Amino acid sequence: MISNCLIQTKANEYILYMITTRNLTKKYGDFIAVNNLDLDVKEGEILCLLGANGAGKSTTINLLLNFITPTSGEALINGIDVTKDPIKTKSFLTYIPENLMLYPTLSAVENLDYFTGISGKKISKSQLETYLLEAGLQKEALHKRIHSFSKGMRQKVGIALAIAKDTKVLLLDEPTSGLDPKSSNEFSELLKEMSNKGVAILMATHDLFRAKSIGSHIGIMKDGVLKNNFKTQDISIQGLEELYLQTMNYNEVAL
Amino acid sequence: MIGKIIRKESKEIIRDDRFKISLFIVVSLLIVAIFVSSNQYKNTNIQYEEAKTKERANWDSQGEKTPHSAAHYGTYAFKPKYPLSLIDQGVDKYTGVSVFLEAHKRNEAEYSAAADQTGLSRFGELTPDFVLLYIFPLIIILISYNTFTKEKEGGTIALLKSQGIRNWKLTLGKWIASLLPVVVLATILFGIAGILLSNLSDYGEFSWISLFALYSVFIVYYMVFTSITLLISSLAKKSGIALVISLTVWFLGCFAAPKIASNLADLKYPYPTRQEFTENVEYEKKKGLDGHNPWSEEAKLLEKKVLKEYGVDSLHQLPFNFSAYRMQKGEEHQAEIYKKHYEILKEQFKNQKGIYQSIAVISPFLPVRFLSMSIANTNYQTHWDFADAAENYRIDTQLYLNDNHAKNSKYQDWGYKANSDTWKNLPAFEYSPPILSDVLNDNTSIIIMLLFWLGISSGALFLSTKNL
Repeated sequence: MISNCLIQTKANEYILYMITTRNLTKKYGDFIAVNNLDLDVKEGEILCLLGANGAGKSTTINLLLNFITPTSGEALINGIDVTKDPIKTKSFLTYIPENLMLYPTLSAVENLDYFTGISGKKISKSQLETYLLEAGLQKEALHKRIHSFSKGMRQKVGIALAIAKDTKVLLLDEPTSGLDPKSSNEFSELLKEMSNKGVAILMATHDLFRAKSIGSHIGIMKDGVLKNNFKTQDISIQGLEELYLQTMNYNEVAL
Repeated sequence: MIGKIIRKESKEIIRDDRFKISLFIVVSLLIVAIFVSSNQYKNTNIQYEEAKTKERANWDSQGEKTPHSAAHYGTYAFKPKYPLSLIDQGVDKYTGVSVFLEAHKRNEAEYSAAADQTGLSRFGELTPDFVLLYIFPLIIILISYNTFTKEKEGGTIALLKSQGIRNWKLTLGKWIASLLPVVVLATILFGIAGILLSNLSDYGEFSWISLFALYSVFIVYYMVFTSITLLISSLAKKSGIALVISLTVWFLGCFAAPKIASNLADLKYPYPTRQEFTENVEYEKKKGLDGHNPWSEEAKLLEKKVLKEYGVDSLHQLPFNFSAYRMQKGEEHQAEIYKKHYEILKEQFKNQKGIYQSIAVISPFLPVRFLSMSIANTNYQTHWDFADAAENYRIDTQLYLNDNHAKNSKYQDWGYKANSDTWKNLPAFEYSPPILSDVLNDNTSIIIMLLFWLGISSGALFLSTKNL
């Protein structure tokens, strides 16, 4: 299985894709949510998946999380099939949904302590505080109960979780939707930092500009099919916008 | 990892206002229940000791009289309040506490506590068993009905599932955390009861092992309730629905099921009315030997048989007083009739118990109720056992008195009077309730039923949370 995810560099080194899908398909009766999807995300790459509602972005993430089982094909995290060893694959990843919900009666530190604890990490309280600060949370918020937190603050706890878990893969489902511009920018910066540290990131989003600014790769999905997949540096923001609109209008454009 | 889940769940429970309010109510109820029961236990046993001593003194100080007069004078057998009745009063309140023992007649136990109280006592008393059987399961429901639904409603389930935790570990952690508050409360209650009882040991054989057995039964009961509540929470989509279903299960299991069982048992195996029972006994008594009537056909037959057996022509030639002998034979005949009719009642009781046991399949409350009363020696079985012991003592007393009369006088010697030593030499009535091992052996099927409930409920819970 791992051999499917290895790529050979010019220097004859092998690099492992952290996120891989091969012919990944998910059907609900006659409806095809994801159709023969092939994706690869290496260490340090950020793949932004664009697409309208129902394009299959969230389904892809749910398949990678093994929340749902594929009809056919494979989803691999760090070279391991998520359906065969879901516990192992989840130890490599952190998932931040659109609206990250935490336990309202617990503080940020307590929430982080719980989630890292159940994922098998033993981390001291002071270290947890450091991670939360690193994720951009204010010091005075560390021991406040979550019910008073904004969405942006909760997302930062999610990033702190990824840092604390020393995560290899970050799966994000529209994490900046509903965030104010300042919080969005802060969050984007955090993602770039994570990427620079070698974390492979797959982010589903509607935000073309955000995708262009932080993504190393962009994929456009429509009706469960990955219509385009390209490097961000190869396209301007105007070009991306045009391509996206054309794709949504069923006009495939090859780059 | 499981420890982490338990700590987190416990923190959430403790910080929840529902728990704080419930805890305040339950602790208040418990304090009142223990105080009331402890006073009742002490007062009843003081009265028991006084009555026993006074009644024995009355018996011993009868002076010279014929033994048969003493037999009619009678004495009392008293039922003590057993130590664990402090926790579970069972049916003690409704069964009498003393039996009047006299010649020719088996009397029912009388002076029940319920008869001494106003009609309002029908609404029930605040006793530890009420809190343990009804309120604690309610506490479990109140603190854990949303254990899984809150994860779904609050959206934390996604983040939780993405951590790669095994579902059985998550379920076990939540299960222990939901059970823990009630276990702590029960441990405190039983601990206080144990300390109180071990300091009041004058009134009966208190056994820590029996107390622990009773404690264990209740803990298993709470395990079952926790499993059921969490099972409902795991299957329900919303907390409100989970709460309503859990409360319905609590109501049906704790209130409706015992009444259904009781009605079915009465319907299928009814007891005769008191009037029918008395008429049947009296009818059969008349058909046999009456010790007081020397002219009856049965008395004449006995006379012939005894004369033949001793090879004499006249009752005067017998080495004992035939009147006392006939009295004893009449007593034995009547005792046989009572035995036969009480056996019929006991058979009905066994049949009814069988119905209860089979209905225990529909509610974990029933096996716990039975076990609790059995271990506390406050069930009907123990009452029957006490009543039988009292009857055996009555029969032995009659034999002792008639024997004394027969051996110490001759036929138609009406002047014989036994001296006061005769009364003093009669051994006092002593009764010990069944020991714990016998109680447990006798209730094996109920124990299995309770464990079956634990297996089924926890099995269903872990199965339902397999795919959260």
